[in-house]
Amino acid sequence: MNQEKHTFKRFDQELAALNGTVMRMGGMVEDQIAKAMISLRDADIEGARSIVARDHVVNFLDVQADEQIMNLLALRQPMGKDLRMILSLGKTVTDLERIGDEAERIARMAIDIHSTSSAPPSPRLLKDAYRMSNLATRMLHDVLDALARLDVDKAIEVACCDAELDSEFQSALRRLSTYIMEDSRNVGHAINATFIIKSLERIGDHSKNIAEYVIFLAKGKDVRHVSPESIDSQDLD
Amino acid sequence: MNASSNPKPSPDGPRRVDVHTSQAMKLRLARRHAADRRFRAFGIAAIAIALIALLSLFISITSRGYTAFVQTRIALDITYDAEILGIGEEANAQDLAVADYRALIRKSMQALFPDVRERRERRDLLRIVSSGAEFELRAQLLEDPSLIGQTRRVWLTADDDVDMLIKGYIDRNAPETERRLGDRQIAWIEYLEEAERIDTFFNTTFFIAGDSREPELAGIRSAATGSLLTLLVTLLLSFPIGVATAVYLEEFAPTNKLTDLIEVNINNLAAVPSIIFGLLGLAVFINFFSLPRSAPLVGGLVLTLMTLPTIIIAGRAALKSVPPSIREAALGMGASKMQTVTHHVLPLALPGMLTGAVIGMAQALGESAPLLMIGMVAFIVDVPGGFFDPSTALPVQIFLWADSPERAFLERTSAAIMVLLAFLIAMNALAIVLRQRFEKRW
Amino acid sequence: MTTALSFEKIAMEEEPPMTVEPPSIHLPRPLPEDCETIGEATVDNPRMTTRDVSVYYGDKMGISRVSLDIGADQVLAMIGPSGCGKSTFLRCLNRMNDTVDICRVEGSIELDGRDIHDPSLDVVQLRARVGMVFQKPNPFPKSIYDNVAYGPKIHGLVGNRHETDEIVQRSLEKAGLWNEVRDRLNQPGTGLSGGQQQRLCIARAISISPEVILMDEPCSALDPIATTRIEELIDELRENYTIVIVTHSMQQAARVSQRTAYFHLGKLIEVGETNQIFTNPRHKLTEDYITGRFG
Repeated sequence: MNQEKHTFKRFDQELAALNGTVMRMGGMVEDQIAKAMISLRDADIEGARSIVARDHVVNFLDVQADEQIMNLLALRQPMGKDLRMILSLGKTVTDLERIGDEAERIARMAIDIHSTSSAPPSPRLLKDAYRMSNLATRMLHDVLDALARLDVDKAIEVACCDAELDSEFQSALRRLSTYIMEDSRNVGHAINATFIIKSLERIGDHSKNIAEYVIFLAKGKDVRHVSPESIDSQDLD
Repeated sequence: MNASSNPKPSPDGPRRVDVHTSQAMKLRLARRHAADRRFRAFGIAAIAIALIALLSLFISITSRGYTAFVQTRIALDITYDAEILGIGEEANAQDLAVADYRALIRKSMQALFPDVRERRERRDLLRIVSSGAEFELRAQLLEDPSLIGQTRRVWLTADDDVDMLIKGYIDRNAPETERRLGDRQIAWIEYLEEAERIDTFFNTTFFIAGDSREPELAGIRSAATGSLLTLLVTLLLSFPIGVATAVYLEEFAPTNKLTDLIEVNINNLAAVPSIIFGLLGLAVFINFFSLPRSAPLVGGLVLTLMTLPTIIIAGRAALKSVPPSIREAALGMGASKMQTVTHHVLPLALPGMLTGAVIGMAQALGESAPLLMIGMVAFIVDVPGGFFDPSTALPVQIFLWADSPERAFLERTSAAIMVLLAFLIAMNALAIVLRQRFEKRW
Repeated sequence: MTTALSFEKIAMEEEPPMTVEPPSIHLPRPLPEDCETIGEATVDNPRMTTRDVSVYYGDKMGISRVSLDIGADQVLAMIGPSGCGKSTFLRCLNRMNDTVDICRVEGSIELDGRDIHDPSLDVVQLRARVGMVFQKPNPFPKSIYDNVAYGPKIHGLVGNRHETDEIVQRSLEKAGLWNEVRDRLNQPGTGLSGGQQQRLCIARAISISPEVILMDEPCSALDPIATTRIEELIDELRENYTIVIVTHSMQQAARVSQRTAYFHLGKLIEVGETNQIFTNPRHKLTEDYITGRFG
């Protein structure tokens, strides 16, 4: 992530270790979401259960990253870019942990939907969820990529994507409400589907947050609470 | 356990665990320690040789010189007979001063040795008393004129040959021709010894008299006074000039070619042989300025020239040793350059400067060569009373006495050296005391 | 308290009665057009301004074309690697470089709008207005009292013993040393601990009511506790004095200063608000230096 080395080499090693932890965590939650959606699609209750069980690994990585951050702050007194990096990674892990929680929630919904005695949900109900999951997963993947390569342009793209996901969520909600009006038997599944798309929407929000941290890390400008479209990578310098 | 025979395989590559514990290392270590001890031994040996040399110098001087601090005296019953003295009943001080005191001694001797009748013998007999003895009698009578007509036993200074005999420097068994005292004289002296009329007393003459051809009458007072006056001139001139020069060069002068040249020349002056300064003094002060020869003033001027480089160099070293942080502190407070120097730098440097000055003075005290050149080598009997009176100095006096043939001057030379050394040690002690007393630590 | 002599009074007496320009009137001077420094080198209310200041030691350049304002009543920290010229620049500000024979200073340095190299401004007066605290605590080898009383005495700020007592007490109180030394004012200043000595030096500096206090690595010889006390003192003094501090410790610069200037090889690379310099420096060299990637 940093081209130049510190004079004190262990500092580099420790920063790299923190970075590694965050990247592992990122890969892990990405995997969790993908697997949760697959278990939902394939009605794989066992798979969904294993996803729920694996969330504690994500939590463990979160704790580990916090510990590394505390040690770095206390022992290395980071300044400038290092300080921004540690702060950004610290916030990133919080968001990743929440994404992990959302993946767990989706898995629980999958178990809920497929283990009830009633008929399986109509594919129409979950169609929006699949589409949104594609978008959310891509956002997460891109933002982790941007973090790894400190790619500001890509981070801005991800931040802009969030609006698309939000409008998808709104239209999906409207569609679900029409399904409920069509057939009140759909209510149970529709509620579950609502939770799932809400989770996916949340994943998009977290990805956007991470994208903002990446911009802060690379450019030293705080772009939270600024509309993503108004961010221009040239302005940041 | 022999580590080198069983090297442990080290986990991290070529580094061997046993390099510092091997047998070869122990040998190398032993050699290093041996070298240490040798070096220390050389140092101790050097110091020991220096101490032995110093000690043998002191012992030889002391053993030769200590007897000069006592003087042999002969007791004679002197009758202050106005008739013999050749003065009337109502003699005034003028008459007393020119009276014939030698006759008194002659009379007393005759009374003591009635057998001696021949003229030559009588002269020899009289010669065992110092030629200065009559002045001792005169001094007594001038002090107390009422003594006239009375008879007193008076201890009179013996001749230097008698002194030498009593102190054991003349071998009584040697053939008569090889000693300065005849057989008859020795017989008389032995008679006096048996009569307990010969004894040794503390030699006050040595400290209160001027120079003399007669060793028993010679003293160091005029030389010591000359030295004192000379040093006074030197101190009064060289200390202020030296300190002012050092302060200017060290604190105020810009560093340029001129000041560099001055600095080099001051260092060179310190190495110039002192006799050159004597020649300079002769040419400038005596021939050009027509100052009197042999005067302490001229001696002081010459020694000033000689000690100035020492004082300047010591002064500059003392100024250099004042930490620059003190100067910065004062300047940073808005003190002017002058205030910085007088309030802070000089007080801190003064002990070092004083020490340098005292050492320079000690050097000047021991100097004789330049004084020879300006005529301070003259035979001076009177104690100099001012800076323009002819005088001599202690080292020159030592030089003069060492040149004299009389045996008794040998011990006086050594005694004068002891006095000079005492002065030098006292001055060095003063330097140490000054340093300890005024030196501030920061 | 009619006889009490306040510091403000002294400060007023010290100014010449006919000051041509009161400090608040003069306008900020523009930076030279080819100034390479990044960041805000000018401030709205400067106490001192330097423009294009270069220092040469013989043929060697010490610092090159530094333009920097020193804002009133705030702490400016100067950081940078060894030999970067920050101490040289500091010593220009009260003309301490004058004491170095081969040193030559070019450019303009102004104090309250007056050039400090102006022949009409006496260097003694300048140094009374721009005090200095040095790297190594350097109290005079005199008593604590005399150390503090020396400045007011040589500048004639005090008339009698009572006024001197007053000023010594006030200065020591301001330097936070009074309670520790009140019972031993006659003991030598060199007998104090390192931190106390440095505070004594600060008391000595403020005894003559300077407008600016220059500090050249004032804590480099002190332990952390003494350092913290000095830093606290600097923070307190900021309200009444303009302080310029050179430090090797970036943490110290970050703790005590409001503005920070980064020097590199005799050039002023970047200057800005301290929090900006330490969180988001704009110049690569600054970044490398503060994050420990230097060299």
